[in-house]
Amino acid sequence: MIQIVTPANEYCFREEMEQVWRLRHQIFVEEKRWLDLARPDGREIDQFDTAHAMHFLAIEAGRVIGYSRLLPTTRPHLLSDVLPQLCEGTLPRGPDTWEWTRQAVARSHRGRGKAVNPVSLALLSGIVEWGLANGVRELVLQMPTLYLLHVVQLHFRARPLGLPQSIGGEDIIAATAEFDERTLARLRSLTGRTGTVLAATYPYLAA
Amino acid sequence: MTRRALDQTLGFLRALDRTASADDVGRLLVDEFAAFGVSNAMAGTVPRKGTPARQQHGHVLVNTFPEAWSRRYLARGYAFHDPTVRHLADSTVPFAWSDLRERFGDDAGARRVMEEAGDFRLRDGVTVPLMTLDGEIAGFSLSGERLAMNPGDRPMLHLIATYAFGHLLRLRGPAAAARAAKLAPREREALQWAAEGKTDWEIGEVMGISTHGVDFHLRSARTKLGTTNRTQAVAVALRRGLIT
Repeated sequence: MIQIVTPANEYCFREEMEQVWRLRHQIFVEEKRWLDLARPDGREIDQFDTAHAMHFLAIEAGRVIGYSRLLPTTRPHLLSDVLPQLCEGTLPRGPDTWEWTRQAVARSHRGRGKAVNPVSLALLSGIVEWGLANGVRELVLQMPTLYLLHVVQLHFRARPLGLPQSIGGEDIIAATAEFDERTLARLRSLTGRTGTVLAATYPYLAA
Repeated sequence: MTRRALDQTLGFLRALDRTASADDVGRLLVDEFAAFGVSNAMAGTVPRKGTPARQQHGHVLVNTFPEAWSRRYLARGYAFHDPTVRHLADSTVPFAWSDLRERFGDDAGARRVMEEAGDFRLRDGVTVPLMTLDGEIAGFSLSGERLAMNPGDRPMLHLIATYAFGHLLRLRGPAAAARAAKLAPREREALQWAAEGKTDWEIGEVMGISTHGVDFHLRSARTKLGTTNRTQAVAVALRRGLIT
């Protein structure tokens, strides 16, 4: 199940958000060695975790096993403020375009093979479902170029914003990924799900 | 400079959307990189060791190699010796075949494949490592007698190969039949006028048929394109270059 957390319902998910900050620290600082993000308290929180960020939590029996963050491109975000060199033309910005960052899956739920794991697919399904219901049609991504094929295979219309560049030893590309009902249908056929992955309430509508 | 490379890549992606077969994709790639000395393209997923030759065939998505070389390559199981295939599991960025000489210099099997490829004027090449959603290792190679490609050209190649591979997988998928749909001349003509904003009545006037006949042709085009309404049919047909 995917739970969306925003300021409107944060008070119900204090404990889960604590798990989020720690999961992010484990994965991005301890595992991926993005040492700029290291924090002495082991909670990875950056300048973009404001009231405008949307948190997507994959929760299983009270435990946060996966996470993604969406940032509005109408405000400062990673591509505009941290990695602008990845975008060679005009920054894609607008209410229908959100930036997808901090994709994370707990080590226990990654599976052994190299195939994309079900938690990642569920998180992405949740993002696409939310987008389709809220007039969002495009994501901005920064990722290892190796994953670009996955995005294409998931029936996003992906367009590169620049050529791949080496950042922190990884080959990284920025791209926009447009989605529609076909993207959701493809995600559902891969996960074998027919209904929504999102938790029943939509409290962010009141935000 | 990189801006130009990006524009070239975006132009390629548009051309790629209009291709309807693996052969078209192969031709497009060879054309696009001809100035770099590229004469052949080959892409596929890596078969598990011991896969019989006739099943290895199913792993190939595009292949413009000379027929005699392809036959020999499959019959002798060269995929399991080929250094450019073996290196795929260890790299995530494009590599030149010449970079592999050191690593595989002492390997007789690897050397034989490279030397024999040279006999078919496939002496030089660049390979892009890829990985599918299912976690399968895959690769995309462009090759020729002698390539004039700098390491700086590789990011562009990386992008182009990734999109071409995704496109080739789509051409194989269940939607492939619909994608390869050929519009009848009257369907194409009606859709072309629809793209120019004409009403059914106006299209009927230009084509010399009834409004009912126009509706019939547009409906048929919609079905072939797998679209649900006129706007979507026009968009899909434009994207695939069926109308202009």
